[in-house]
Amino acid sequence: MKKWLVGLSLAAILPACVTINIYFPAAAAEKAADKIIDEVWQLKQGQEGAKPTDAPAGKPADTPADAPAK
Amino acid sequence: MKKLLLSLLVVVTIFAANGAVAAADLEINTPAIAALKASMQTRHGQLSPFYSSGAVGLTKDGMIAIKDANAVPLKDRGALNGLVSAENADRANLYKEIATANGHPEWQGDIQNTFAGRWIDKAQGGWWYQGAGGWVKK
Amino acid sequence: MLRNATIACLLLLSQNVFALSQINIQIGALSNESIEARNVNINLNLKAVPTVTLKTELKQPADKAWAQAQMRCLLPVNLTQDVWNCTDGKFTAPRINLPFALEVTPQPKGFAANLNLQGANFSDEAGLHAADKLTGHLAVVARQDGDTLHFNSALNWQSGEVFWQPLYFANGGHELQAAGSLRGDVLTLDNATLKLDKVGDLKFSGQIDIKKYNIQRLNADLPNLNLAEAYPLLFKPFLGKTLLNDADLNGNAALSVTVVDSQLKTFKINLKDANIDDKNHKFAFYNVNADIPWSYDDATKISFSYENGQLLNMPLGRTNIGTEVNRYSLVSPEITLPILDGAFKLSDISAAHINDNWYWHLRASLTPISMPDASRAFKLPIMQGKASAEIPLVTYSGGILTTDGEIVLNVFDGQVKVTQLTMINPLTDAPKLSADLTMRNLDLGELTRTFSFGAIEGKLDGDVQGLEMLNWKPVKMDAKLESSPGKYTKKISQRAVENISSLGGAGAGAAVERSFLRFFKQFNYEKMGLSCKLHNDICEMSGIGSTPGGYVIVKGSGIPSITVLGYNQTVSWGELIDRIKRVIDGNSKAIVK
Repeated sequence: MKKWLVGLSLAAILPACVTINIYFPAAAAEKAADKIIDEVWQLKQGQEGAKPTDAPAGKPADTPADAPAK
Repeated sequence: MKKLLLSLLVVVTIFAANGAVAAADLEINTPAIAALKASMQTRHGQLSPFYSSGAVGLTKDGMIAIKDANAVPLKDRGALNGLVSAENADRANLYKEIATANGHPEWQGDIQNTFAGRWIDKAQGGWWYQGAGGWVKK
Repeated sequence: MLRNATIACLLLLSQNVFALSQINIQIGALSNESIEARNVNINLNLKAVPTVTLKTELKQPADKAWAQAQMRCLLPVNLTQDVWNCTDGKFTAPRINLPFALEVTPQPKGFAANLNLQGANFSDEAGLHAADKLTGHLAVVARQDGDTLHFNSALNWQSGEVFWQPLYFANGGHELQAAGSLRGDVLTLDNATLKLDKVGDLKFSGQIDIKKYNIQRLNADLPNLNLAEAYPLLFKPFLGKTLLNDADLNGNAALSVTVVDSQLKTFKINLKDANIDDKNHKFAFYNVNADIPWSYDDATKISFSYENGQLLNMPLGRTNIGTEVNRYSLVSPEITLPILDGAFKLSDISAAHINDNWYWHLRASLTPISMPDASRAFKLPIMQGKASAEIPLVTYSGGILTTDGEIVLNVFDGQVKVTQLTMINPLTDAPKLSADLTMRNLDLGELTRTFSFGAIEGKLDGDVQGLEMLNWKPVKMDAKLESSPGKYTKKISQRAVENISSLGGAGAGAAVERSFLRFFKQFNYEKMGLSCKLHNDICEMSGIGSTPGGYVIVKGSGIPSITVLGYNQTVSWGELIDRIKRVIDGNSKAIVK
């Protein structure tokens, strides 16, 4: 019974997560947000401020989780 | 059969390429968004000292709120309150406009969440924001 | 009730063994569901003037910090009948400082109390509910009768400022009187009056379940409200980004409301000679008289009238509006709004308020108004002619206003038709408008004189498809202007040629002056035209024909023949508008000289 419940809730949660992640362009949204915030707050280093997401510094945190699986 | 597979592959590649291009940028150059940006930019001049003094802080849902207005004279608190509600109205509209400008009104919540994180990341040192356990000074 | 009480009792005996001069009682901690106390210290001083001093720390279970409370009372001779006079009262906590004096007279099954606050300050953590230098007086008479507590109280707020989000009171002078009873969770107010200084007196009575916040019944009556005082104090803080948030109001109003089971049952608003004047000059209504009754159960008739006013600088004449209201919907056969020398007539009006949104539709017509008056009202160059409109159906739904039919302007001896007019959020900060325009046979002579553009004789047709305006500025359109077909005099002055050329950029206009053509004051032309596809602040321009690398704006005819070519295919819209302004300003100045 318990297993069945866990399975059901997983089945309910998993597709929801997957759809949202794939569907919503999170990276593009961050880029857009950065651009708008830089303008609204008149941050001079606008271009540099927007970069760190793509910069190597930001990557290592993401890759190790994926790398061993591959 | 091979031809069919190949053409299928081509189609898939085209779609994939399209997908990648579409995901690269969100449309944020609409007149409505420009108007909202301009209005928020003007207001920022008035809000900025309140961020620094801690009277106003950034909330975790991409809005702003009065954190501690005790240093502001009572008679000016109504105006501060008005400033905060006007900013929040603009922000709500901005999230909505970005979502609709990109043809996905249902993205509004996701866009708001994305902004919430970015506002806080880009906030100046000394400003206050809402963390998981309450107000935090950056 | 007492969950935890540790009591330490200490008797301090003076040197005289037989005379007890002081009793000190210390209680470590006391608590019940709603309040906790610790370090309670009661000191009885039994000297010539016997006093009791109470000092304690208090907090509500959810609070983190403890508050300090203390007061000193003179012990009366008869403890259960005489006045207890307590002074030096003080309640302090972070951001709270309440100095007070208290006078309590025990009465059979009750008490009478007078509490004086002297220069009190308080504030919550965010500073959204705060008071400064608050001085006031509260008198309460209470009597227990079985399970009912009867009370009569009067609160007099004498001075000090208060901010209670979003309301701000700079000064005291306000009073609240309330008589009623409390039985269980039900508070009954038999008779209450709130006197707001200079604003008006609110009388109310009712019954409220204070635990469920349910208003079982409420009658409130404000017979005479001073709008000039009430607007900044009570209305403006709630109006936020609405249209009415920056206006001058004066005159009188009367309000009454009844609520049953937390549901608005009836209200009535009367305005007596009120004036409403928007500070941004978007609208104004003077001598407004209104009688607006509303009932949840019955249909009512409302009337609204004003003597004069203006809407977006358009003068409004005396108007009477009568409407029937049925709960959340409204119908009216006809409303006539006199404007300038004509009138805006609305008919077959029906509107409904559903789920916080307004929906309405109506028929509209504009009886001819004179364009010279209208152009003066809108501060435009004076145009001749008449404007009229016939719109069979105007619909407003979810912030979007759409029209079927056409608005016809008979101007410049020709006709301008506006069709497919749609407005989104028309009355907000970012109104969006879209429309199609067709112009036929506009007299260029009149047009160029009106706008101080060099003289051109001829007729002009124009088509503007998919015009989109944001905040009344064009952001998108496909516009085309062209000489009307047919036979008529076509002449263009040298100045007009220069002006058209200078739209192409600085210096271009001078080309004509440098050539031999400067000896001719006017030229014949065969056809002229210019089009602009506006998108993203860029105007893609073309003319009536194309040449290698350019387009034809004016095609000459006869001798000498002059042809004006354009080479800029894309022009920034802002730049183009600036150039047109410069040309018009330059010409009008030239005329003055």
